[in-house]
This record gives sequence, C-alpha cells and structure tokens, in this order.
Amino acid sequence: MVAGSLGWWGVPVAILGGAIRVSTPFLFVSLGECITEKSGRINLGLEGTLIMGAMTGYAASFLTGSAMLGVLVAGLVGLLLGGLHALICQQPRVNDVAVGIALMLFGTGVAFFFGKPFIQPQAPRLPSIDLGWWTDIDQLHSALQINILFPIGLLLAPVILWALNNTRWGLIVRIVGDSTDAALAMGYSVNFVRLAATALGGVLAGIGGSFLSLYYPGSWAEGLSSGQGLMAVALVIFARWSPLRCCGAALLFGGAGAIGPALQSVGVTEGYYLFNAAPYVLTLGIMILTCSRRHTLAGAPGALGVVQ
Amino acid sequence: MAEQSFAAAAEPAAEPEPAAPSADGGAGAFGEKLRRLGEAAAVPLLALFASLVAFGLFMLALGFNPLEVYELIWRGAFGSYFSWQNTLVRAAPLILTALCTALPARLGLIVIGNEGALVIGGIAAAAAGLAVDTAPPLVIDLVMAAAGMIAGGVWIASVGALRHFRGINETISSLLLAYIAIALMNHLVEGPMRDPSSLNKPSSYAIPDAAMIGPMPGTNVHWGLAFGVIFAILSYVLIERTTFGFAARMVGGNERAARMAGLNVGRLILVVCFLGGAAAGLAGMVEVAAVTGRANASLAVGYGYTGILVAFLARQNALAVIPVAILLGGIGASGGLLQRRLGLPDATVLVIQGIIFVMLLMSEGVVGRLNLFQRTRDG
Amino acid sequence: MSAAQALALEAIGVSKEFGPVKALVDVAMKVPAASFHALLGENGAGKSTLVKCVMGYYRPDSGAVLVDDREREIANPRDAHDLGIGMVYQHFTLVPAMSVAENLVMGRSRVPAIIDWRAERRELAAFMERMPFRVPLNAPVASLAAGEKQKVEILKQLYLDRRLLILDEPTSVLTPAEADEVLGMLRDRVRSGQLTVLMITHKFREVMAFADEVTVLRRGRLAGAGIVRELTTADLSEMLIGSEQIPQSAAKTARMNADQRLQIRDLLAEDDSGAVAVDGVNLAVRSGEIVGIAGVSGNGQSELMQVLAGQREPRQGEIRVHGEPYGRTRTEMAAHKVFCLPEEPLRNACVAAMSVAENLAFRVFDQPPFAAGGWWLNRAALHQSARELISRYRIKTQSPEAPIATLSGGNVQRTVLARELSGEVEVLIVANPCFGLDFLAVAEIRAQIVAARNRGAGVLLLSEDLDEILELSDRVFVMFEGRLVYETAIGDADLGTIGARMAGH
Repeated sequence: MVAGSLGWWGVPVAILGGAIRVSTPFLFVSLGECITEKSGRINLGLEGTLIMGAMTGYAASFLTGSAMLGVLVAGLVGLLLGGLHALICQQPRVNDVAVGIALMLFGTGVAFFFGKPFIQPQAPRLPSIDLGWWTDIDQLHSALQINILFPIGLLLAPVILWALNNTRWGLIVRIVGDSTDAALAMGYSVNFVRLAATALGGVLAGIGGSFLSLYYPGSWAEGLSSGQGLMAVALVIFARWSPLRCCGAALLFGGAGAIGPALQSVGVTEGYYLFNAAPYVLTLGIMILTCSRRHTLAGAPGALGVVQ
Repeated sequence: MAEQSFAAAAEPAAEPEPAAPSADGGAGAFGEKLRRLGEAAAVPLLALFASLVAFGLFMLALGFNPLEVYELIWRGAFGSYFSWQNTLVRAAPLILTALCTALPARLGLIVIGNEGALVIGGIAAAAAGLAVDTAPPLVIDLVMAAAGMIAGGVWIASVGALRHFRGINETISSLLLAYIAIALMNHLVEGPMRDPSSLNKPSSYAIPDAAMIGPMPGTNVHWGLAFGVIFAILSYVLIERTTFGFAARMVGGNERAARMAGLNVGRLILVVCFLGGAAAGLAGMVEVAAVTGRANASLAVGYGYTGILVAFLARQNALAVIPVAILLGGIGASGGLLQRRLGLPDATVLVIQGIIFVMLLMSEGVVGRLNLFQRTRDG
Repeated sequence: MSAAQALALEAIGVSKEFGPVKALVDVAMKVPAASFHALLGENGAGKSTLVKCVMGYYRPDSGAVLVDDREREIANPRDAHDLGIGMVYQHFTLVPAMSVAENLVMGRSRVPAIIDWRAERRELAAFMERMPFRVPLNAPVASLAAGEKQKVEILKQLYLDRRLLILDEPTSVLTPAEADEVLGMLRDRVRSGQLTVLMITHKFREVMAFADEVTVLRRGRLAGAGIVRELTTADLSEMLIGSEQIPQSAAKTARMNADQRLQIRDLLAEDDSGAVAVDGVNLAVRSGEIVGIAGVSGNGQSELMQVLAGQREPRQGEIRVHGEPYGRTRTEMAAHKVFCLPEEPLRNACVAAMSVAENLAFRVFDQPPFAAGGWWLNRAALHQSARELISRYRIKTQSPEAPIATLSGGNVQRTVLARELSGEVEVLIVANPCFGLDFLAVAEIRAQIVAARNRGAGVLLLSEDLDEILELSDRVFVMFEGRLVYETAIGDADLGTIGARMAGH
C-alpha cells in the first residue's frame, strides 16, 4: 500500500468514485429503457445499441477531434437502432424478445466489424468536472472527478418524470403503454408512439455506450460491454418504472460494478473475475426478490407482456 | 369477468354460412400438412434469400464484389472436402447449443443462455475427466459427458425454475447466468484449476490423450457431430411423438389450458430446460474432449450465441436444427477465407449472422402481413 | 360549454361484407333527435357492425349514414367524434393506471402540450357539479369497480360534449339498481333535449322500460322497427327470433339428492394484482343438481373458476371432490371425472395453434388407446376419435387438422364441450358458457349442461347472465366482493332480493 494513502479506506472511496463512473452508462440506458417500457415495449437489443454507441462515438471522436461530437453521433446511431427495433416489432406476428436478441447480435457484429481500425488509436476523451480540488489525497481526488455526463443524466430523471405526468406527449406514452385498447379508442397511433419512445430510448442508450469508450474504461476494444444493456432492463423492472428510482438503482449497480476495480486498486487480485460478476449476481438477486409468480408487479405498464 | 379485447371485438360478429364438413378427411389432412410445411419453410427461405441480397449490397457499399464474396463463402463452406470437414466440425456444437434454445422454446420459453451452459458443461467435464484420469478412456469420456450434461442441465433448469417459481423473465436470467458462468470459468481456469505450464493462455490441465474423442472413421470430423445429430433426433421424437412432448407443446401453446388439463407445468418446464441445458453442456464437453483437450477461455467463442440463431432459423424444430447448423457452420468456416483473401475482419461472420437474424424476423412479419397461408374462418 | 343540441341519426341501405360473411344487408335505421333508441338483436345479428359503421371503424360497402339529415362521410372515429358522436363500449377504454381526471382530460381531441393540472382540476370539479353521479377524480381507474368504471365512461362522453351517445350493452356489468340509475339519468338528459341515445341491448326489459323506439336486426337484416309504446314483448320476441322453432329449454328430471360431489370450504384466493378476490367461499354441490352463482362481473367469479380449474393457486381453504382432498392434478381429474368449461374457451381451455383433433385429445392423450405404453402417441387413434366427436357434436371445421383458431366462437365452444362432456362426468364446473354465441349455439350448450346434470353430474355454474342462472339452476347463490352473500332454492328465488344482493345490499 502506498504510504500517505488512505489505506483500507481507499476501498470505499474507490467504490464511491467508481460507482459514479460505472453507473453513468447504467443511468442513461435505464432511463432510455424506462421511456421505452412506459410505452409498452421492451427493448432487449440495448446491448447492441450500447456497443454500437461506444464504437461510433469513439470513431467520431477520433475522426473529428471532439468527444462531445462523438457523444452526439453515438446518440444518433442509437436513434437509428431503436427505430429499427420498433419498425420490426410493429410487424404482425413478430416477437419483441426475438427482435431484441437479433439486434443485440447484429449491433455487436457490426460494431466489431467497423471498429477494427479504431482499436489502437487514442481518441479525445470526455471532460470531467473536478469536485476534488480541495484535497490532495490522490485517491480521494480521483474519486471526485465527476464526468460531465453524470450530472446530465441525474438531471434527466426528474425531467422525464415531469414530462410523463404533465405533458401531452408524456401522457400519450403512458396511455399507449398501459392499454393498447384505450390508445386505439382515443385514436392514437400505437405504433408511432412506440417508435418514438424506442428511438428515444436508443438515443440515451447510444449516449450511455459512448461513455464507455470515451471516458471509462476509455478506449474501444472488444469486450467493452458485457451485459450492461441487459442489466438496464432488469434495472428498470427493479425500479418499478420510476425514473427517479432508476437513478438510485443505477448507482447501486454502479457500486456493485466498482467493487472489483476498487479492490484491485488496493492490491487485492484474488477472485478478480468473481468480483466482476457481482453486478450480474446482484441483478439476479434483485429479480428474485422483486418478481413474483403469483401477481403482476405494481406499476408495470399494462401493455408490457414480458413481466407476466 | 368477460371483457373482450378491442381487437377481438373487431371481428365480424355474424356467423358465416356453414361450410360443408369435410367428408374426405384424408385429403384435407394431407393438404393441411402440406400447407403447414410450406408455411414453416417459407419464412426461413425468404430470410436467407433476403440476407444474401442485403449482405451483397453491404459488400458492394464497401467496395467489394458481392459475387466474389458469395463465391468465397461457398468455397469456404462447401466447396471442397476440406471445407466440408471444417463446416461439419463447426456444425457439431451448433446443433447441440441450438437445442438449448429450441427445446425450451416449445414450452414458450425464450432461453438465450446457451453460451453459459456450454461453458459450465466444459468446465465440469474437464474437472470430472481430470478427477478420473486413471480410468479407462471410455469411462473417462462417459464420466465427462455425464458431468457436462448434468452441469449444463442444472444451469438451464435453474432458469426454468426461476421462471416457474418466481416469474422471472427467462431471457434475462439465462443471459445473466451465462455471464456468471463465463466469470466462473475464467476464475477457475486462472486460479484453482490452472495448469502452471499454460503460460500464454491460462488453461486447466489436459485430459489424458487416450480419452480424447477421435474422428469418425473415414473423416476428420470428430464424433461430436454424431452426438449432436442423435440428440437432435431423439429430441424431435420426444417432442412430436410422445405424450411428454404433447404435454410440453400444450404448455407452450397455452399454459392456462395445460393447467386446466391438470398437467404438472413445473415439472415439464424443469425437465425440458434440463434437456436443453444438457445439450449445450454436452457441446462444452465435446469442445474439451475433441478439440482443445483442456478447459480454457476458448470455450466461450460464440457457439452459444450462434446456436440461438440456428434455433430461430430452424423455427425451434429439433430436426431442422441439423441442416441449419450445417449452413451456419459453413458460414463460420468461410470466415477464414474471407479474412485471408479479402482482408475482411473476422467480425464479418457476426455481421452475416446478425443480418440473417434481423431478416428472419422481418420475414416473419412480411409473411404474416401478406397472410399468404391464412385460411378463411370456417363456420 | 355550448348548449348541447341532440343529434339525429339515420342509416339508409347500409351493407357490409367481410369476405364471404354478409354482416349487414341493406339495413335502415332512423333515430330522431332527442330520442332514446334501442337496437335489439341476438349475438351475431349485426348490431356491432352497424354501430361501427356509424362510428367510422368500418366503411359501409354501400348505403349512407346521415347525421342531422345530412349525409356524412365518417372515415374514422375522429370524424365521428368531431360530429359529436360518442360510444361507450362493452369493454372499457379507460387507461387503468391513470386517474379518472387524467383519463377525462386525455380523452379530449385537443389537449395542450403542457397541462396545467390546477386549472384542469378546477374545471373538472365544476363539471362534476353538474352531473347526477359522482366518481372520485384522483383514484386510478384500476381501483374502481366495474359499475364505477362504466359511469366514468359515460361521464367521459358527456365531458367531451357528445350529443349522440351509442351504448353497447351498457348494463352488462351493472347491478339491476345501478342499471336503472344510469339509464334513468340518460333518459332525463334525452328528455331535456341535450342528448340522443342509441343503446344496443338484448334485454327486453330495458327496451320496454327506457326506450322510445326500437330497431331489431336479425342475421344482418332489418327484422323490424317501431315505437316501444305500441309494442309488446311478444312482438319484440317475434321480430328478434323470427319464425324459427324456439328450442324448448331442456327439461330437468327430478333428482334424488345424493352424494356430495364438490365441497368448497373457506376458500381464499388473490387476483393477479395480489388483492383478495375470493374471500372465504363455502359451498357444496350434490350429484344431479346445478348450483348457479350469480353476480356482476369482477366480484371474484373468474378467480373462483380459475382455482377450481387448477389455473390459480388458492391462499387458503379446502376443496374436496367425492369427499377427498382435491389438488387439481391430472390423475385426480381423471379419477374423479372432474371437467370444466371455462369462460372464453379459446383463451382458457384450448391451444390456438394446435389442431382441432389435438384439442379434442387434451383429456385422454396419455391414456390407452391414444398412448401406447402410456408414453408413445397413437396418432391414428387420436384422429379417429376426433372424427367421431366432430361429427357427433356437429363441429364445423375444414378438417380435423385445422388449427382450432380458425373456428368460429360457437364451434370452439362445441369442441370444448365435446372434449369435456362426451364421457362420464361426475363434477362439471362451468363459467359464462354462452357469452357471445348465437341463439342456436346457446340453446345447444344449455341443453348439454342440463343433460349432464340429468345423468347425475354435480354442476357448478358461474354466470354473469342472470337469466341463464335462473333458467338452469336448482339452487342459486349470489357472489359479491368474493363472498357468497345469498342462497336460495330456485323455487323460492326472488328477483328483487337477488338483484339487491348482487349490488351488495
């Protein structure tokens, strides 16, 4: 252990800093999926969107020299993939879950295909806000570097909540998601609303993906994401489709994901893989606790078929 | 108590004039069979054709000659004795991992944790094989197969249990368990099970050479292919021709109706999930016993994920899985040729698979929309 | 709000076909402004289709729809709404997770991009002052009872300033007292010139009590029309059914009350959301009797049926058949000869993708001769048996291999009947067997149920159709909020008391 460092206190500090870092993609993807599921559709293809967002964001950042532009491009790519998901799902007899799996594989494949030339080069990274200026303890200082997307994500949650309750579009999304019959009777185009909601979800997922390559871990390589897109879906269920609870859940997952690297930073390398499996185990555990075979979950949008 | 959905209420309320009841049941039944076969094959064939075109356009856009690409894929997959061997070796695990999705799908469960079951099966097989490494080779192989199947079976049976007893979505849970399995494998292979002499790529100790599964006579393809074919045929017979399979199909068709008939839904789910997982676990065992000789990260190279596509393309039919697995094995086999001749990255095969999967689903939609095989409602 | 002026509606020569099915043939209907008009007809007569043409869901193949004596092109429901025509459906079109207030506001054709809830709530409160019945504005619709939901649906139409209101069987989810309250209030509005009402119904009592005029459809054609004051129920009956032989309701043979077939003790079960739906039900059904449970939909009947059919796990309580504990396993069902006819048979008792032959085999596929050695399917035997049942029960299907989803509602029910009733039946549990079926199928099915009773089965009948309960039962119970609140032998049954109990009094 480095002299003058925090010693074992470094672990919770690292977890805190790591939680903020690791939770940022969860935050964006889960908020996006929250919107999509509020409209009555589940998008399991977010893993593919996440990876495509990471690759295109990195590539755009490298080619243009601006990380923020990379984020924008990633969002756009997410829009397209989300739109594709919705367009296929609205065809008759098509299974939403299968479409998600297909796009997950498709997105991953295309990302690796086009991403080959970007593995080596280093692209400009996203800026961060320095909340640790007051300390010169290294670990604390680095833990308090907040990336710029994190506060944006936090702010997004109450905005989405407000929109769902107080704007015409937000209420339409909720109507379409809760009762297809009611939406049709009111004359709303269920397909169009879901298309918009899924595309918007894709934008946020793409942005979340760009964070992975442009901030932490901060480079483009295969294996960048392993299941974060999927965990976000479980996260939304755990958060009972409330945007604010999604924030809390994202931080929880971020903390779980930060355990492994945090322990590594103080020299604990045994069981590295097992600690990195913590988020998956946590997700599974949460699902076991919250789901029940007897009844539907409170707050589930009525048109969402997947949760009973 | 009886709230009809809006969609159902949109059907015309009047009963149509009754059609004359079919006096000639035989021809009607045959015609029905033909229609069903046509409907079943139409979607995958359309999908493959559309994928060919889409991929060709993709290659064109990147500056390659699509015809040249098609030719290379053909050559790499089926063009020579050598490429056929390559294809069949790849098809072997695909048949088994596809069953991991196809079997639970008949019960209405969408399981995609094939990769996890394969990995867990491989690890368990390696551990078991090493534990009895002084026994005769046949015994070692049997023990390894049993271990692989049981481990994979339990892994996916858990997914079924979570779904049946806790209502947890099986697609999500199976994928989570897959990631956990891979993490477990990495941990074991780099830690407790590690062979210190494997420096470059952490691996377990090797199983005895004599226990390695050899090639089938006259070919370079190992017996794993035969295991896959037999498993697929037995699965098909189970699902289509036995009372167990009938009950399983009832559950898959409408769980409420199955419950009303008193079927033990939980038991059916657990058994079928176990069988699917056992198939994938066997694939893992075959990878260890026939290909690598030891357990390491090369267990998780994507046979599981490709297996998902095989199952969907075969429309969850255990027999159809065999030719589809050969097709996709061929595409995978051609990857090397594409890489060497045209400099395409190895992810090209993933792109082809992704395109096929997307096209498959769009074909479902197109056929559904065109109502090509729709019957008129009868009186 | 503008002073509402009731609309007049007229349909002239309306025809509509769906492929080979002629749903409407040259139908004419005249609804004067500020009148209460009944549209009477059996299931399948074309009432829904006619009304959907008026509402813009369908375009008539020929003919015209006139609103206030002007021919109108109603291409979609929005056009109908703009003309001031609104419809209250049989199923609810409210959004369950949203509050009554949110439902009302979002039902408007013009909603501001950002909603000022304070102002909206004020307006809504003022509106509610003018209405004769109250509903809680902030309660989520899912928490309301069926009767309250129906009231909200009607309120929504009034809130949206509709001047012609089409009601599709509005009282099917209401107690007799609630039905009178709602229809009475609508009739008052009609009298005051603010509203025209077109009500689809099959209940003579409502036609005679509330309607000014009536139009009767039969098999897609106009069978008659007239002023209600000048008609008798016999006239209505003749227009409705025509000169067809009315099948006599099956005679019930006198039965010696014998053994207890089905016993239910202190049964407690929850619904899908976890709320208590069956709240301590106790009853016994003896051999050779039909026990009918009447009640308005949503009082636990569905859940009770599902528990008895093995589709829902009860929380507490005991179910016994032939005196032995009954766990709803397949062996018990076969041993005790327990059979079920659940409501919505395609949804609850059939596998839509499987063929008619396979659906017919659900009870027997694992027994000889259909299962060799108990595990190998004997397909030939299956098909042979299916052919016999199809001909015996007159199931109209293109072939035994056709997926059951291609059959009409009546034939699906016949299939389930054939499967459940063709053997020896000791206990029969039936729910809403005749919902949505045509007259002949209804008579057929009821006859089969009585026949099973006459052969000695103990029958438990749950139905939302009080007439059906009264026609078939030997003993009548009323179910309200999950409990059985009234019991009577059919001879002593008093409609007034039953109605009151159904409403919870």
